[in-house]
Amino acid sequence: MPQIITEQNLRNLIDLLVKEAKLVVGPKLSGSVVLYEPLTAGSDLTLDALPRRSSKELFFPICEDILSYKRENGAMKVNDVDRSKFPEAVLIGAPPCDAGSPAILDAVMSWDYKDEFYLERRRKSTIVGIACTKGDDACFCRAVGLAPDAEAGSDLFLTPLKDGSYACNAVTEKGQALVAAHQNLFSEGAGAEPKPFVDQAVAKLNLVKIKKWLEEHFEDPLWEKIADICVGCGACAFICPACHCFDINDEGSTDDGVRRKHWDACGFAKFTNHASGHNPRDVQNKRYRNRIMHKFKYYDDKFGKTLCTGCGRCIRACPVGIDIAEILETINSKQD
Amino acid sequence: MHVEVTKHDFEPKIVAFVCTWCTYAGADLAGTSRMQYPPNVRVLKFPCTGRIDPVFILRAFQKGADGVLVSGCHPGDCHYMAGNFHARRRFAAFRALLDFVGVDLNRLQFSWVSAAEGGKWVDVVTELTERVRTMGPMPEFKELEHEEQWSGAINTPELKEAYDSIG
Amino acid sequence: MNAKANKNQVTCIEPDYYQAITEAIRKEAVKILKDETVVGVVGYLPGRRKGTASPALVTTVEEAEKLIFSPACVNNLSVYLTKAKKGVLKQGKVGIVAKGCDMRALAGLMTESQLQREDLFIIGVVCPGVYGFGVERTGTLTEANIARKCRECTVHMPEGADVAAGTHAELADLTPEEAQEMARIEAMPQAERWAFWKEHFSRCIRCMACRQVCPFCYCEQCLCDKNRPQAVESSPRPAGNMAWHLVRAMHLAGRCGGCAECERVCPMDIPLNLLNRRMAQELKELYDFEAGLTPVDKGPLNEYKENDDQSFIK
Ligand code: SF4
Ligand code: SF4
Ligand code: SF4
Ligand code: SF4
Ligand code: SF4
Repeated sequence: MPQIITEQNLRNLIDLLVKEAKLVVGPKLSGSVVLYEPLTAGSDLTLDALPRRSSKELFFPICEDILSYKRENGAMKVNDVDRSKFPEAVLIGAPPCDAGSPAILDAVMSWDYKDEFYLERRRKSTIVGIACTKGDDACFCRAVGLAPDAEAGSDLFLTPLKDGSYACNAVTEKGQALVAAHQNLFSEGAGAEPKPFVDQAVAKLNLVKIKKWLEEHFEDPLWEKIADICVGCGACAFICPACHCFDINDEGSTDDGVRRKHWDACGFAKFTNHASGHNPRDVQNKRYRNRIMHKFKYYDDKFGKTLCTGCGRCIRACPVGIDIAEILETINSKQD
Repeated sequence: MHVEVTKHDFEPKIVAFVCTWCTYAGADLAGTSRMQYPPNVRVLKFPCTGRIDPVFILRAFQKGADGVLVSGCHPGDCHYMAGNFHARRRFAAFRALLDFVGVDLNRLQFSWVSAAEGGKWVDVVTELTERVRTMGPMPEFKELEHEEQWSGAINTPELKEAYDSIG
Repeated sequence: MNAKANKNQVTCIEPDYYQAITEAIRKEAVKILKDETVVGVVGYLPGRRKGTASPALVTTVEEAEKLIFSPACVNNLSVYLTKAKKGVLKQGKVGIVAKGCDMRALAGLMTESQLQREDLFIIGVVCPGVYGFGVERTGTLTEANIARKCRECTVHMPEGADVAAGTHAELADLTPEEAQEMARIEAMPQAERWAFWKEHFSRCIRCMACRQVCPFCYCEQCLCDKNRPQAVESSPRPAGNMAWHLVRAMHLAGRCGGCAECERVCPMDIPLNLLNRRMAQELKELYDFEAGLTPVDKGPLNEYKENDDQSFIK
């Protein structure tokens, strides 16, 4: 028998979690845009638009201090960040294309180097995913192997029902624990019909074939054709749930300052600029090629996963209308 | 000559960006003539007001200045002919920008002080210092320095606030 | 005022209207490619999604026949002619499709000796307006989906272009939303203005899309990317963001052509054009300078008069 939670109880759950001093993050209207932000009450939750930025920032903040330093009596004192202070967190209301991203990123973050900043936040968080009944013509999660009702990455998964309530599936132990701790908000029952999902314009892609083509076409006229117009901003990477590049900067003075880690993007001209001045990715189409290569070949080579959830954010945000789904379709339809 | 030193509750930090040819020499003259002016001002010397980038002013406010003075040669006296003419336009535009984003322009003073005007230097510095003193510290830019994006904050004060309000 | 309410003011602009511009652009692009006046034409091609378009550099007649103009042709293509986008253009004279507001950028780039008029073939668009952000893309331009900048456009006619595509038409009775917003901000108490901008800037993620699409941000080394010494913090925190936006507004003062591309591309909806507009207004008031369709000798912050206002200087 599935568990059912009404919309009101979902909001009550948020109130309770906030009261338990948990960091509850979910889609919230911030000015004119919906962003994932800390919710201070259940009424903050806004479920009718895909947030402009992805939920990755809960685990991989846009900018965080990794240490601070200060010269004291001639000696440099370095203070580490006390990661035990990271709050227990619940991410609530993330659709599969966001909820699914940690499941992809865990691999790289716990690979040869363990990124304790990411991992500690991961350990301390529970993800409440929600099946997606919105979607627009930029979405293509099905094409990359996810779906509007994919549970990958979620600890607890909600499916919106036609009567406004949600069917809940506790996917992991964390999810079960969350339900068990607030059992009175859930009820048992068959529930109403689920709300329908939106059709997607992009057909399922053959990711194996795409990868093979990429392997053989590092040099190809396609790159110039599609990516000469790329202006080299960070919009696509920053709002992407799967991009995880960062830069590290010391800010302050030589005597007193902070070392900060913040988002970076392979679209920037300086991303591969060497100290010598040489830049192996000297023109923009090579930088864009890296974006495709990393997402659909390199990451798969290393971790057996595709670095894209098909959320369509980069398509919506690209200033010059570069459409990653269209490019994948083009490659997918190539004969050689 | 003995001057009464008055104790104040608030000593504003004033940063002065000056050109080396006129205002710096003017300030020097004030010093060698043993004129008194508030010790709140820290003087930074540049070749010309034309070299004083608006970003320096921002930086000063960010790093804790409560008031900023920019001073150079009178029009027509620029060592480099036109540096101060260009600076004049640039700072006129910059003032409009600061005002538009909500910065109180009373904290920012421009002046022409020549090498012979030790007295004017004293007046300008004293007036700015006293004006800023009555305005109190400038919190805006300094507060920003300590703010984090929510995701980068280690623990979240707004959560505690929400918790308290729910009670 | 009444002279403006003429026969060319309509309540909506139908797809046919844009189709006529499209035909004219194609005809001209094909012609100049065929007779080798140019080595390529920067224009727009349709996107995969309905009601979208993308910039494109076309070099063949077949491609030129696919060029379009629609309300989705929002980009200011002049950015591709700057040195910041090296690698895009082949050597030789190029054709470019330009709306009135894009032509102000071309004129500004000529003022700054970044472009030579004789290296360009400008296919000017007699532009009725383009889509705003996040609106319904139906193919028809209406009061409901027109971009904010177009509501107050004064350059529908691309004067100075080599050819003009289209006939003049514009939407009637558009409220000047941006001017109203300017007035609202100017009327705020100072602390409220600070709070307004602080909130907007804090949201900035420093993706630099605003810089990268700007035709005037062609510096080889942006001050805001430098870290030795660091003038502006490059971390996306409220402090550095505020400094970045103030520096950006200053660096564009007297240069910005008002295409509002920065504001359009901002994924965080930060109203950047308000800053540009405030600067433009000040330079108009003080030095009677206005970005126009013809290059000038020097921009307002690159020249001076001995009797410039100095009432703010002691
Ligand atoms: S690459 Fe684009 S579509 Fe894929 S996950 Fe990133 S933003 Fe979404
Ligand atoms: S696509 Fe680029 S920005 Fe994104 S993770 Fe890969 S290298 Fe980094
Ligand atoms: S693809 Fe688009 S969003 Fe990404 S860097 Fe290029 S122009 Fe920017
Ligand atoms: S501002 Fe004027 S020229 Fe520019 S897109 Fe709008 S209507 Fe066209
Ligand atoms: S485009 Fe927007 S978010 Fe990106 S750097 Fe510019 S203002 Fe910031």
